[in-house]
Amino acid sequence: MPNDKYANMEEKLWILEDLNMMYIRQIALSLQDSDIQKKIDHEIRMRDGACKLLAACSQREQALEAAKSLQTCSTRIMAYMSELQRMKEAQVMQNVPRRSSDAGPMDERLPCKGKVAISDLRIPLMWKDTEYFKNKGELHRCAVFCLLQLGGEIFDTDMVIVDRTLTDICFDNAIVFNKASPGFELRVELYSCCSEDDYSAGSTPRKLASKLSSSLGRSAGKKLRAAMEPGPCSPVSNGGASPLLLPVPSVPGPKYHLLAHTSLSLSQIQDGFRTHDLTISGNEECSYWLPLYGSMCCRLVAQPYCMTQQMMSGCLKVKQCGGDPQSWTNVFAVLKGTSLFCYHRQEDVEANVEPAFTIGINKETRIRASEKDPQSKVQHICISNQYGGEEVTHTLTAESREDTHRWMEAFWQHFYDMSQWKQCCDDLMKIELPSPRKPASITPKQGSLYHEMVIDSTHDLSSTVSDILARRMQELELRSQLGMSPTWMSVFEENDTKPAAFPRQCNSRLSGHSPCSPHRRPLSPASPPCCPRLGLLSSDASLTSDSDSHCSTSPCCHHRGWPEPSLNFPLLSSSPFGLRPRTLSLDAKLSTLRGRGYGGGGGTFQCPCQPPPSSRLSPLPISSRSPLSQRSTQTTLSCSSSTSSNSSSNSEGSHSPESSEGVLFSRPSPARRSLRNLRARLDPRNWLQSQV
Amino acid sequence: MSFVPGQPVTAVVQRIEIQKLRQGDKLILGFSIGGGIDQDPGQNPFSEDKTDKGIYVTRISPGGPADVANLRMGDKIMQVNGWDMTMVTHDQARKKLTKQKEDVVRLLITRKSLEETVRLQLKSMLS
Repeated sequence: MPNDKYANMEEKLWILEDLNMMYIRQIALSLQDSDIQKKIDHEIRMRDGACKLLAACSQREQALEAAKSLQTCSTRIMAYMSELQRMKEAQVMQNVPRRSSDAGPMDERLPCKGKVAISDLRIPLMWKDTEYFKNKGELHRCAVFCLLQLGGEIFDTDMVIVDRTLTDICFDNAIVFNKASPGFELRVELYSCCSEDDYSAGSTPRKLASKLSSSLGRSAGKKLRAAMEPGPCSPVSNGGASPLLLPVPSVPGPKYHLLAHTSLSLSQIQDGFRTHDLTISGNEECSYWLPLYGSMCCRLVAQPYCMTQQMMSGCLKVKQCGGDPQSWTNVFAVLKGTSLFCYHRQEDVEANVEPAFTIGINKETRIRASEKDPQSKVQHICISNQYGGEEVTHTLTAESREDTHRWMEAFWQHFYDMSQWKQCCDDLMKIELPSPRKPASITPKQGSLYHEMVIDSTHDLSSTVSDILARRMQELELRSQLGMSPTWMSVFEENDTKPAAFPRQCNSRLSGHSPCSPHRRPLSPASPPCCPRLGLLSSDASLTSDSDSHCSTSPCCHHRGWPEPSLNFPLLSSSPFGLRPRTLSLDAKLSTLRGRGYGGGGGTFQCPCQPPPSSRLSPLPISSRSPLSQRSTQTTLSCSSSTSSNSSSNSEGSHSPESSEGVLFSRPSPARRSLRNLRARLDPRNWLQSQV
Repeated sequence: MSFVPGQPVTAVVQRIEIQKLRQGDKLILGFSIGGGIDQDPGQNPFSEDKTDKGIYVTRISPGGPADVANLRMGDKIMQVNGWDMTMVTHDQARKKLTKQKEDVVRLLITRKSLEETVRLQLKSMLS
C-alpha cells in the first residue's frame, strides 16, 4: 500500500532527524558554544510550527506565508549547521600541533566589521506584450520573496504576489546585516511559487473544477502537468538536500522553488542604485516560472565600524608644524571615521560640542613616528595631510610610550580598515530604515461601476436598495419631463416588501399601455397576462388612472426584468428613455443584489409562469404585485402575446437578448478583503436567459 | 440527459414544431432559453445533471406560440431546425432560434417525463 510506505518513510525521516539533532547538540556542547545551539533550537521550533501551520491552514495566502517561513527556517538551520561544522573543524585544526612557519595567522591584522544594508530591491519582468496587455483569461499568479544571506545571518523579504499586470517585482524591505567583514558575500535568492491552482491533496473546489474543465488551454495544461509530476524543474526545495541535514519531510502545500540568485560583494557597494545580473534557474515549463528580465536593481550600502565608532581616544598634545615649537595644545582626541577630532576636554565629546580642530585621516594621510625627542625621550607622531597644494603637518605627543604605541597601532589599524573597506570609507553612507507604512491598499483591478458599489450582504438589502432608488429618484426628478415622480414616490413608499413564496402573475395590461395614450384599457380575463414578470407595478389605482404616469409603466415591461421579489421598480421603468443605458446597468446591479439577498445560493428558481395559470390570472385592471423569489437571473422581457398591447411595448420583447454580461458581484466584506487577495472579485457569471 | 464524453448521447426525444408569431416587425416564439457552453451549468434549475451545458427552456409565455405547440418549461432543446443545440454557446442558440427569415422552427426536445412515459408504456406493454 503506498500509504503505508509513505508513513514508514516519514517515520524513518523523523527518527533520522532526531539523531541529527543529537549529533548537532554534541558538537555544540563540545565547542562549548551554546549560542548557536540556542539558535538552532529556536529555528527548529519555528520550522515545526511552520509545518503545522502549513498542514492546518486552508487559505492560500496563509499557506504561502507559512511555506515562506518554512523555507527561511530551513535555510537558517542549514547555515547554522554549517557554521557549527566549520567551528568544529577549526577547533580540531587548532589542536593539531603546528609548525613554527605557520605562525603567521595569529598576528595578522583583521579588518573591522561593519554594517551592510540592502534596500529597495527591484526585479524587472519581461512579459511578452501579448501577455501583458491581455485583458481576459486567468491571471496566472506567482508568490515570490527574496532570501538574503550574509555570513550567518539570513533574512527574508515580504511575500509579493506577481501576475502579468506587474512590470517589476518590488520589495520594500530594508535589510541590515551587522558584523559583516569587508570580504562579505551577500547572496540574494529569489524564490517563487505558483499561487493559483490548488494542486494539493483534497477535492478541488467546484468553481475550480468547472474552470479547469472548461478553460484548460495548452499552456495551462502544461503547467498542470508540470506541477503534478515533480520533474527537473520542481525540486523539493524546502530543506534541500545536504550531507549534514536530511531533507525535511515534505509537507503538503505550496512549495517554493529557486527562481534566480546572485551574489553581491564589496565592489558592488555604492551610495546609490545599481543594477546587478541575476542567474536564473528554471525554465518556461516550470509552474513557478516568471519571465525575468535578468537583472536586479537595489541599493547596497555599508557602514564599517571604523566610520561610525570611536576607534581610539585619549589625551594628546598637538602642535601644528611651522608654529611655535612650544605651543603644544592639550586635547582629548577621538579617532573616528575619516578624522581625528580634537576636543578641548573629554566632556565635550558627550556634550556634542564642536571639536577644537579636526585633523583629517584618510587615504592620503601620512603618519610616521619621528625620532625620539632628545629632551623628553618620547616619540612624536607626525600626521601630514595635503590641503590643496600645501602640506600641513601636525605633531602629536602622547603621555607615555605605551600610549604612543597604542596610538600608532590604532592608526595602522585604521588605515588597514580603510584599505579593506575601500570606497565605503570615503564618506559615511546612510542606512535608512523605512518608516512603518500602512499596508498598500488593494487596487481594484476592474474599473467598472459595478465594483464601486460595495454592498454587504449582511445589510438590509431593501434599505440599501431604497437608498439607491431614492438617489435615482432625485436625479430623475430633476430631469423628468413626465412629471410622474410624485406619483411614483407614493407608490414606492406604499410598497411593503414582503417576498411572497410564489410568484404571481402581473398584469398584462400594463403592457397594454402605450406611452402616449393615457387611457386605461380594460383587461379581459382571457387575454393572457403579459409580463409574468417581477416587480411589476403598482397596485395603486392612481397609476392606472388617466394620468401621464401610465407612460411610465409601459416601459417597465420593456426592460429586462429583474428578479425583484418585493420592491417594485417603478422608478426604473419610468425612467425617461434618455436615461435608459444607466437604468439598465442599475437594473442589473440591483437584480444581482436582490438575487443575492433573497435567492442566495440555492434559491429555488421559480418561473413566473409556473403556478397554474388558473389561479394566477388577475383580470383586474389593477395589476398585482408580483414579488418573486427568483435567483439572480436576468429574465427578459417577456411577453408579448398580449394582443392589445401596442407595438412599442412588445417590440422590445424580442429585442436583443440580455446580453447582460455577467453582472459582477460587489466586493466582499472588509474581513475577507484584508486577505490581500485579488481573487475576491468575480463570482461565476449569472446564468443568462434570452427570450426568443 | 447527461453525457459521457466520447459516448453518443441517447435520449427520448419529441419533435415540436412552433410557428412563429409576428409581433410588430419581429417574429417571436414566446419562450426563453437558458444555458450554453459559456454559462455556468450549476445555476440551471432544470437540469438533472448540473454539469449539463445544454440549452433549456426556462420560461414559456402562456398562450404564446411555444405554449400552443406544447413546449414545456424545463425541456432541453437538442436541435433547432437540424442545428445541434447540445454544444453551443448561449448566443449561438439564441441566434438559431431567432432567424427572422424563418417563420417556423422545428425543435427536437427531451424531457425527463418522456423517458418515464416510455418506460411505463414499455412496462405496460410487456406485462
